[in-house]
Amino acid sequence: MAFNYDQYLRTDKMPTLWCWGCGDGIILKAVIRAIDKLGWNMDDVCVVSGIGCSGRFSSYIDCNTVHTTHGRTIAYATGIKLANPDKHVIVVAGDGDSMAIGGNHTIHGCRRNIDLNFILVNNFIYGLTNSQVSPTTPRGMWSVTTQYGNVDPSFDACQLAMGAGATFVARETVTAPKKLEKVFIEGFKHKGFSFFDIFSNCHINLGRKNKMGEAIQNQEWIDNMTMGVKKWERLDDEEKKAYFPTGILHHDDSKLEYCEAYKLVQEAAQNKKKVELPK
Amino acid sequence: MSLMKAPENTPVWVNENNCKACDLCVAYCPAGVLAMVPEPKTILGAMVKVVYPDSCIGCSDCELECPDFAIMVADRKEYKFSKLSKEAKERAEAIKKNHFFAREEDLAVLNA
Repeated sequence: MAFNYDQYLRTDKMPTLWCWGCGDGIILKAVIRAIDKLGWNMDDVCVVSGIGCSGRFSSYIDCNTVHTTHGRTIAYATGIKLANPDKHVIVVAGDGDSMAIGGNHTIHGCRRNIDLNFILVNNFIYGLTNSQVSPTTPRGMWSVTTQYGNVDPSFDACQLAMGAGATFVARETVTAPKKLEKVFIEGFKHKGFSFFDIFSNCHINLGRKNKMGEAIQNQEWIDNMTMGVKKWERLDDEEKKAYFPTGILHHDDSKLEYCEAYKLVQEAAQNKKKVELPK
Repeated sequence: MSLMKAPENTPVWVNENNCKACDLCVAYCPAGVLAMVPEPKTILGAMVKVVYPDSCIGCSDCELECPDFAIMVADRKEYKFSKLSKEAKERAEAIKKNHFFAREEDLAVLNA
């Protein structure tokens, strides 16, 4: 016996259009295993994806899927979730998709604390359009639009989500698929905005010009700049800057979820009263 | 949990229609079970082969890291995996040093 991924996939679309060794496939696998472990019916799951390589997510997973416009994944997903509060909505977006053009939607999704599972596939570059600089590209790296090295400081997506008010924030890498699966299970169970910053490899468009042209070299680079959050907390402030902590970074169950708050508004409107929110 | 039937007496097997020869499974294998073999019909000119199935320790790293749903590992309840030997470790290192390709002795084992 072995795990049967085919039951969750549109097998007529296989093999995938992603490059060889692309981290997106590893994340897709982890999402499928997490859904399987939670025992969700695929009719109750909706996957919303934006534009970019990560946008192909919705083409391969066999559930309700929407392939939306560039950066507007959260806007579509909010509508889907508000209309179907009992369904599970998974949003997949790349780093360019969700941090640059859709940065505004991302922070306001976090602020509302709506029950979405937001997966940020962070490969540090605009991969699909051939390596333009993205908001998470590290300093000094080559890209088509920064040919002498990138000078822009990069986003720490998890800090951004925490600051904006997301109630579940986690970071993982494609080099640890078992941990990835565990983090997805924890986040999918959480009621509120779950933000996953998943470090992925793009050895074709980031790696080739930055001395890591093979998938495994790019994954080793990711491995060297991340560290488990418990180990990371014991470091000095100066040493902390060199590493990204991985694991569950923030978990807060006390905040009111947006669909529930909206229900209170509906009741208040029916009774012609002003809404009373619990403190 | 959805399961698929495994071929009999096989610890690890490859769906060659899905494999794109990215080398990740060979890079993650700690026991040198897998190696790339030249295959002119594929895009990258290589294909992964299970060369030493008897050495497989059943860690499933190759299955978890494969982005293309191409490699599968049998369940621990159904197949008795071997323990990690020194010889297997050294072989894994040698294959990785050979750019993930099978060495001549590995090709001889495969063709035998």
